[in-house]
Amino acid sequence: MDASPAQADTPTEPTAATPPEAPTPAEPFDALPLHVALSALAGLAVTIVWGASGGGFYWPMWVWLGVSIPIAVHVLIRFGLSRPTSAGHALAIHAASSGALGVLLLLLWAMTDSPTFWPVWPLLALGSSVAVHALITYADRLPGRRREAQLAERVGELTRTRRGALDVQAAELRRIERDLHDGAQARLVALSLLLGRTEERLADRPEEAELVRRARGEASAAIGELRDLARGIAPPVLADRGLAAAVEALGRRAATPVTVHASELDHRPLPVVETAAYFVVAEALTNVAKHAGAPAHVHLVEEDGRLVIEIVDEGPGGADANGGGLTGLRHRVEALDGELTVTSVAGQGTTVRAELPCGP
Amino acid sequence: MRAVIVEDLALLREGIVALLREHDVDVVAQAEDGEGLLRIVAGHKPDLAVVDVRLPPTFTDEGLRAAIEARRRQPGLNVLILSQYVEPVYTAELLESGEGGIGYLLKERVGEVRAFMDAVERVAAGGTALDREVVSELVRGRDRGAGGDRLAALTPREREVLELMAEGRTNAAIARHLVVTPGAVEKHVTNIFGKLDLFATDDDHRRVLAVLTFLRAA
Repeated sequence: MDASPAQADTPTEPTAATPPEAPTPAEPFDALPLHVALSALAGLAVTIVWGASGGGFYWPMWVWLGVSIPIAVHVLIRFGLSRPTSAGHALAIHAASSGALGVLLLLLWAMTDSPTFWPVWPLLALGSSVAVHALITYADRLPGRRREAQLAERVGELTRTRRGALDVQAAELRRIERDLHDGAQARLVALSLLLGRTEERLADRPEEAELVRRARGEASAAIGELRDLARGIAPPVLADRGLAAAVEALGRRAATPVTVHASELDHRPLPVVETAAYFVVAEALTNVAKHAGAPAHVHLVEEDGRLVIEIVDEGPGGADANGGGLTGLRHRVEALDGELTVTSVAGQGTTVRAELPCGP
Repeated sequence: MRAVIVEDLALLREGIVALLREHDVDVVAQAEDGEGLLRIVAGHKPDLAVVDVRLPPTFTDEGLRAAIEARRRQPGLNVLILSQYVEPVYTAELLESGEGGIGYLLKERVGEVRAFMDAVERVAAGGTALDREVVSELVRGRDRGAGGDRLAALTPREREVLELMAEGRTNAAIARHLVVTPGAVEKHVTNIFGKLDLFATDDDHRRVLAVLTFLRAA
């Protein structure tokens, strides 16, 4: 959000040693046109010889066949053996080589005076294989499939942008929290300090001292409210020490005995994931205190790029899976492509389990 | 008394310096970050360092870490931590950071001038000053942990006295706070120590430590 002033002020220096425009490498000599031209010349030459020698059976066709086979091989080597750069390119190579082969077959058929049109079968085989290839390559352009592909792309895009929006929101909230700390809270503390010093000097005027004392009380209440607000955004210990420490702090603070098993995570999840996980534990422990009034156990592990949070209590069970503020939390978890489940069987306690993607 | 102040917000730093000077504390140096704390503590060997938890560059628990490091380099250094919030984890880290007076107070307590100056003097003398919020967290933790039954055996008044003791206050201060005679406080203290099975001592500081050890035992 802050434009870096250093970046804005320093003009981009031209790189000191820009090499002079490198000469474009010479196009490799393309032998194919020459090959075709020479072959055509040879064919024409023998045709002239055939014409000059009185015609009759058009024997030069064997020469044509002879020179066209190397050309077909040349084309195949040239295009067929180059690495396909895309699905479309691969299809073009396939079609071109099939076409070349088909032409050769037709040529062969024309030269052999065969009574039946036998090339129909190999041509059919070549053609249908190209057709299948084309169908596979461009399946997503078919009317129905096209829609599906568009939707898949849209889902991917929405997932990315929603994640981005949540990250921005989390960062923004932390900025607000810091502003509260450095701004309003600090000023109120300074005010409280001034009022305290004033109160001291009014020792001989109890009525005025009482007024000042009350003003200081109001300032303290405001500071307390701001503190609660800031804690609701992101508890300081979470930002300072990470999720495991923050969850342990929650366990210590809970109204019922809580054991915490938090394994060290490989890397710190994004703030937005951390905060959601923290509030799942906080809300679940509040519910345990309110409804179960029994000991609880919190487990925190990372499994296959997912953060798994489980809060198990030893209470009576039978809790409403949608009650106790869990719906809001479920939305929060689901917005991160996570999952929140509540299992509560009468007599077997209640388990709140949340899974959140936390991969890098 | 010679003190140093480490606080990044000038408004607050100046206010605290003015308050301390009004109460005859000699503020010998000021700094704005953890590095600064280590530097002025090494240079001035003060009786007390008053430190804000949240300092640049990280604005997390920089001040706390620097204070613990300063105590490591200079054993017995008296440190009073001021914070916008109290965190039991940090209390534990402070109490375990070795010899010397320890204070951990919410920032807004600076407005309660007399109580704050009491705390400053206590910590500068090697004593303890814990915020009442910290103490109530500790008591709550003990309530449901092992020994919770012994805590439950205290009368409400005894519990009040226990919490004031845990904050680090002397009998005289407790008596003033509860508006009772010092004799009455002494009687409560004897009862508390009896009910909690603690070894009674006349030394105020050792008494605080005994109470804190009891409260923190899991």
